[in-house]
Amino acid sequence: MNRIKGIREKIPDQVKRLLIPVVLVIAAFVVMRHFLVPSDFGKYGHYRASAIDDVISLEIKYSGHMVCDDCHDDIVEVKKMSYHRDVACEACHGPAAAHTEDPDGNKLQAPRERGYCPLCHEYLPSRPTGFPQIVSESHNPRKACISCHDAHDPKTPEAPKECKACHAEIARTKALSHHIYVSCIRCHETPEEHKVRPRDYRPEKPIRRELCGECHAKNAPAAKAIPRVDMATHGERYVCWQCHYPHLPEVD
Amino acid sequence: MEKLAEHLWPILKQITGYIYPNEIELYWGMLIVIYPYITGLVAGAFILASLVKVFNVKELQPTYRLSLLTSLAFLIVAPLPLLAHLGHPERSLEIFLTPNKSSAMAMFGFVYAWYLMAVLLLEIWFDYRKDLIMWADKEKGLRRLIKRIITLFSTDTSERAVKFDKKAVKIITIIGIPSAFLLHGYVGFIFGSIKANPWWSSVLMPIVFLFSAIVSGIALVLLIYMVVTLVRRQELVMASLDKLANYLFFTMIVAFSLEALDFIHRLYESEESITILSQLISGKLFVSLVVIQFLLGMILPLGALAAVKLFRVPAELRRHVYFVSALLVQVGIFTTRWNVVIGGQLFSKSFRGLTAYKMTLGGMEGLLASLAFLILPFVILYILVKILPPWEKNRTP
Repeated sequence: MNRIKGIREKIPDQVKRLLIPVVLVIAAFVVMRHFLVPSDFGKYGHYRASAIDDVISLEIKYSGHMVCDDCHDDIVEVKKMSYHRDVACEACHGPAAAHTEDPDGNKLQAPRERGYCPLCHEYLPSRPTGFPQIVSESHNPRKACISCHDAHDPKTPEAPKECKACHAEIARTKALSHHIYVSCIRCHETPEEHKVRPRDYRPEKPIRRELCGECHAKNAPAAKAIPRVDMATHGERYVCWQCHYPHLPEVD
Repeated sequence: MEKLAEHLWPILKQITGYIYPNEIELYWGMLIVIYPYITGLVAGAFILASLVKVFNVKELQPTYRLSLLTSLAFLIVAPLPLLAHLGHPERSLEIFLTPNKSSAMAMFGFVYAWYLMAVLLLEIWFDYRKDLIMWADKEKGLRRLIKRIITLFSTDTSERAVKFDKKAVKIITIIGIPSAFLLHGYVGFIFGSIKANPWWSSVLMPIVFLFSAIVSGIALVLLIYMVVTLVRRQELVMASLDKLANYLFFTMIVAFSLEALDFIHRLYESEESITILSQLISGKLFVSLVVIQFLLGMILPLGALAAVKLFRVPAELRRHVYFVSALLVQVGIFTTRWNVVIGGQLFSKSFRGLTAYKMTLGGMEGLLASLAFLILPFVILYILVKILPPWEKNRTP
């Protein structure tokens, strides 16, 4: 007892006084943690465990595409083979949970206005080349998309006449280049089926240096203004497009 | 939608090249520029104060308490820009109640609390305790009560107690230096650890931030000391000023070397981002980085301070040079923060385009709110100085 009293006397007065706010802060922290932190916090991770129950108790609005197969197997079968095979039914038709519960009472809508399909198919330079894109202002204005295209098996009603119908970005670039009058198929050997099934039948890229040489070789029978190279010494181990970009070839 | 388009239109006109849609508008604006600027001043002012206690630099004694109070005033304001930027300040308490050890930002709450309560407040309390007791004895009414409450009704002014105070101040300062390094090094760490952003991602970032913080802290205390002494119609202690300018000069050399090292390293590495970063420096950041940060904020004051050291310059001219240099350093360090925070968001992650930053006048993120956050620490400092006069003549023997 005397030892404790001795230690207490050794602690300076100001430290004892400081201990009061320190203890108060710690006590406030402990009390606040006790009352403000939910008891199930941290059970699974850095969150309130009952938050999972809260999420589970939310009304389910989407049913998932598997359910559609039960009644609409004919459409699902067609869609499975089409370009839209990875687009979920509810992406266009909206949340279907209520419809699966009561198919007649809750009918789903298909988007019929023009604004919907361009969300994915409007021309944007950042979209991948070859992804079907349109400029909706000039593409059959006012006509609903579904009047020509079947969204479950989308195909162009007629084969595109020109490459730029799909490869708009390249066409725009080429239109500004010296190669404006060189047609696409002069360099890209393209099977006719490519226009209908573009991903199954792909066009070729030039594999021969001589193709460019037809215009650019020293002795080529072409206009004088065209730049010439000695095919025997100029980058002989490479195909031309490995160094030059033929859709916008550099000047000089 | 129309409102959004109206808001984005002026920025869209200034976009060059290709950028992703979510990069048009900057998410971190002026308030996030102010935040590292203010924390830097806190750390810098504290490190300056610690020179007196730990390294026994006697010349700086007249600025010791002023540095501590400056540090405290800015520390109180430091989190406010963040709270204003995030909104819902009442939720900020939750990072203390449920500490998330894997989040650097969440852990900063504890660094801040530690620095405020275990370092600054304690050091000021121990340093002022005896004086406060003496001042309280001479005063009456509310002023007396406030001072008594601050001392926690302590009355012991015995030699033993005062000796303990001095010892405590020294220990706290020794703990305080790494704490101040942690406080501002952390801010650099937050930026330096964002690996997706080549303008920020650098291991040198915490140390670059730290030294620029020390530079800005010293310059700020120098400015405040000069202005306050002028307002009080007192004589400036030239030895103190010379010492402050000396420290400012040497820390600027270190800060400059570190920034140059960072720059050369990036240039030599020449990662794929170097093209867009060069466009950024030579275009959108040319005025703020090359002209203001580098030439006006670094080279000019460095040259001026070096010239003062080299040639025998009369005291009157020295004072002017110090004042202008410190002012330029402040502007320079502020633009450093600007160039880091705003510059890091001006280029696209596609490395193919640049956007622009449009600051509003009003609103929580606007210029007026930002100015308010920059003025507020001085208001707090004024109140602190009224309660705890930092002048040497008020010190009780």
